Amino acid sequence: MNTSKNQPSPSRLLNWFNPRGRSLEGMAFILNRITALGLTLYLFLHLIVLGTLARGESAYDSFIELVHNPVYIFGEFLVVAAGLIHGFNGLRIFFTSLGIAVPRQKAMLYVLMAIALVASLIFGLRMFTA
Amino acid sequence: MSAIRWDVTFVVYRAKGDEASHFDTFKLSIDPDEYVLDGVEKIWAFEDRSLCFRHACHHSTCGACGMRVNGVEKLTCITLIRDVTQDGGTLKIEPLRNFPVVSDLVVDMGSLYLRMDEVHARPVVPVPEAEIEKSPKEWPPDDYEYLRLSDCIECGLCMSACPISATSPTYLGPAVLAGAQQNGLSRNPSLLEIVDAENGVWRCHSAYECTAVCPSYVDPARRIMDLRRQVVSERLKRLFNRPKPKIAAVQEANR
Amino acid sequence: MAEVTLQKSLSAPKTGENTWLWLLKLVTGPLILVLIVVHFVVNHYIGSNGLLTYREILNYYRIWIVPIMEGLFLVLVVSHALLGLRSIILDMHPSRSVLNLINWLFLIAGVVSVVYGIWLIRVVVANIPGS
Repeated sequence: MNTSKNQPSPSRLLNWFNPRGRSLEGMAFILNRITALGLTLYLFLHLIVLGTLARGESAYDSFIELVHNPVYIFGEFLVVAAGLIHGFNGLRIFFTSLGIAVPRQKAMLYVLMAIALVASLIFGLRMFTA
Repeated sequence: MSAIRWDVTFVVYRAKGDEASHFDTFKLSIDPDEYVLDGVEKIWAFEDRSLCFRHACHHSTCGACGMRVNGVEKLTCITLIRDVTQDGGTLKIEPLRNFPVVSDLVVDMGSLYLRMDEVHARPVVPVPEAEIEKSPKEWPPDDYEYLRLSDCIECGLCMSACPISATSPTYLGPAVLAGAQQNGLSRNPSLLEIVDAENGVWRCHSAYECTAVCPSYVDPARRIMDLRRQVVSERLKRLFNRPKPKIAAVQEANR
Repeated sequence: MAEVTLQKSLSAPKTGENTWLWLLKLVTGPLILVLIVVHFVVNHYIGSNGLLTYREILNYYRIWIVPIMEGLFLVLVVSHALLGLRSIILDMHPSRSVLNLINWLFLIAGVVSVVYGIWLIRVVVANIPGS
C-alpha cells in the first residue's frame, strides 16, 4: 500500500491554509487561523513594548514617535483588521457552537464579515490620516 | 445520450505498491452530460486496465465512488462532466485525502467504518430522527413507526475535506460525529466520553467543509454543532445533578 | 492499520480538551470583542495624533473603571489566546509528553503575562498626578 502521502499527519499543517477548492466558510476558517496566530504573536510583542510605560514619559513618547511612520501604521492597521475579522467571525462560531442560528450561519458570515470590513476601513482611514 | 462531445483531458493519480505516486494523462472525447465516473470507467475499459477505482451503485446510494475532482471532493457517479470542466478542459482526478491509498484511486476506508460502528451509527432510523430540519417533537408520534435509510452513505468525502482530519489521525471526523449526533447522548450516554474529548467535538473548528462536500444532505457541520449543544447540556446536567445514574447504570450493565 | 488508529482514538486519555476548557475559550471571545472595540476606539481613533501619548494614557486611566477594564481585558485575551494556540497544537495530535510540556509552558506564560500586565497597570495608575 502506498500510504505515506495520504495519511493524516501533523506535517500536513500547511493544508490548513490552502484555499484551493474551499467553500466560503473554509476561507473563513483559514482567515480565523491566520489572524489567531498573528494576534497571539502581536499580543506578546505588545506587552513587551508596553514596558516603556514603566520607564517614564520620555521613553514612552519617544517610542510613540518612532512608530508614527507609515510602515508601523500599516502594521497596526493589520492588527486592528485582524482583531475585527477574528472577533466577528468568532461571534458566528460562538452562536453556532451553542446551536443558535446554525442554518443561518452563512448569512451570519456575510453580515459579520461586512461589519468587520467596514469597521476596518473606518479605523484605517482614521489611522492613516491622523 | 446527446451527440455532443467534449475533448477533456483526465489527469489521474496513480500509485501502485511502494512505487512513487505520479499522474497519468488520458484524453477522452466524452459526452458532457455523462458523469465523471463514466469517464474514469472509459479510461479503465479502453485505455488502461490497471487503473484501480471503486464504484458500485452509480446512483449516490453506496458511497463507493468518492474521489477528488480538481481538488474538490465529489461523488463521481453524480458529478456531471459539464459541471466541473469545459470543452478542451482538464479534470484532475485524485483519491480522497486522509485515508491510506490502496491503489490508484482506491483508499482504505476501514478507519471510518470502524469508528461509525463504535458510535453505533444507525444505517436505518425512524423518519423523524433522520431529519435535522425539523426537531423530532414536531413530528406526529405515528411517524416514528416509519423507517428509512439514514442520509449518511459513509462515502468519506467529509473526512477528506476536513482540514483537521488532515493533521490529526485520531480525530473522529465529521461523519462519525454526525452519526453520534443522530444517536443522541440521551439515548446513548456512553457516547459522551467518546465525543467530549480532544479527538471528538472539540477538534472541529467550524470550517463547514464537510457540509459543503456532503452529497447526501447529512449536513455534518450542523450535526456537530448540535452534538456540542448536547454535550454541554449533558455536562451541565451532571454538574448540578450528581451522582450520574445513567453512566453508572450503563457501566454496571457492562460489567 | 485502521484498527490501531481507532484504538488510539478511543483509548487516549481525555486530558487534551474537554467541555469546560472549550467553553472558557468560547465565552471569553464575545467579551474580548466588546473590550477590543473599546480598546481600538480609544487607542486608534480618539487620540489626537493617532496613538495616545503618555499624558493621554494617564488621563484615560483617571477614569476609575479603566484600570479594571484593562486588567480584565488582559486576563481574557491572554487566556483566549493561549487556549486557542493550544487548540491549534492539539489539531496536530501531539504526544502526551509534548502536550504536558505545552500545558506547563502556556500556564507559566499566561501567569507571567497577567502578573506583568497588572504590574504595568499599577505603575500607570501610580503615576497619575494627584493619585
